[in-house]
Amino acid sequence: MPGPIIDLTIYENEEMLLAGLRRRDPDACACLIKRFAPLVYAQAMRLLGDADEAEGVLQQTFIKACDRLDTYEGRSGLSSWLYRIATNEALMHLRQRSSRIDLDDVAETIQEDELPQRLTPWTFDPAAAALNSELRTTLEQALATLPETLRTVFVLRDIQGLSTEETAAALGLGESAVKVRLHRARLRLRELLSAYMQEY
Amino acid sequence: MTCEELIAHLSSYIDHEMDAALVAEVQEHIAHCRNCRVVLDTTQRLIVLVHDEGQRIIPAGQRSALFERLHQAFLNRPQTSDDSAV
Repeated sequence: MPGPIIDLTIYENEEMLLAGLRRRDPDACACLIKRFAPLVYAQAMRLLGDADEAEGVLQQTFIKACDRLDTYEGRSGLSSWLYRIATNEALMHLRQRSSRIDLDDVAETIQEDELPQRLTPWTFDPAAAALNSELRTTLEQALATLPETLRTVFVLRDIQGLSTEETAAALGLGESAVKVRLHRARLRLRELLSAYMQEY
Repeated sequence: MTCEELIAHLSSYIDHEMDAALVAEVQEHIAHCRNCRVVLDTTQRLIVLVHDEGQRIIPAGQRSALFERLHQAFLNRPQTSDDSAV
């Protein structure tokens, strides 16, 4: 049975949505989900690379968010707040995994095959134009090919915008390991996207 | 500074985690080396691109069934004792 249609325009902005959530308006939680679930799901998928686990993180994130509304101070914006909850949930999933880690994936230096090969400039200027869906898919696919050790650091540092120190604490790593892994991830992604950008 | 050294230090340069003497060496190198200039420029573009993408709230699109299930799970969620007191 299809659910009720939620009108996202009920709440004009985040403050009004937040006020609705605190008043426990029946539509407010649904509105929160409709508005932010794609963002939360995308973040969980990037960190975990597994649709079922990402779906679990999505559910847990909104359950925790609704339970913690009374302590949310509204300083960081709802999307940043939800991002943080989702990241913590996803990291908990990662810690519970006992996946085998390849030694190359935790190397503290750039690997031979990570040295730049594609040396064509990009015509695409991200400061001037938004991603189209094809480029977005290419980016997500490229990200998914990175080993977990590099991907998690890249997602937290360059996508989520955490500092080196915050990323190190979140992942239980030293700061120098975070820096090296971030650098290796950037080089690999640059190479992967360069192949696409040449034809863009 | 060689190309290999520059590539090794590229992220430190981009993230402003490099001391001034090395920064000057990097800048001198990229002024003369077209290939390293391209690697620097494309890496910086990558960082801007993924950061902007991460902040964008994409339309539900093909995942709408998943979000609909989540929404239903919420509507059908048992009330907490706190909820019932309101």
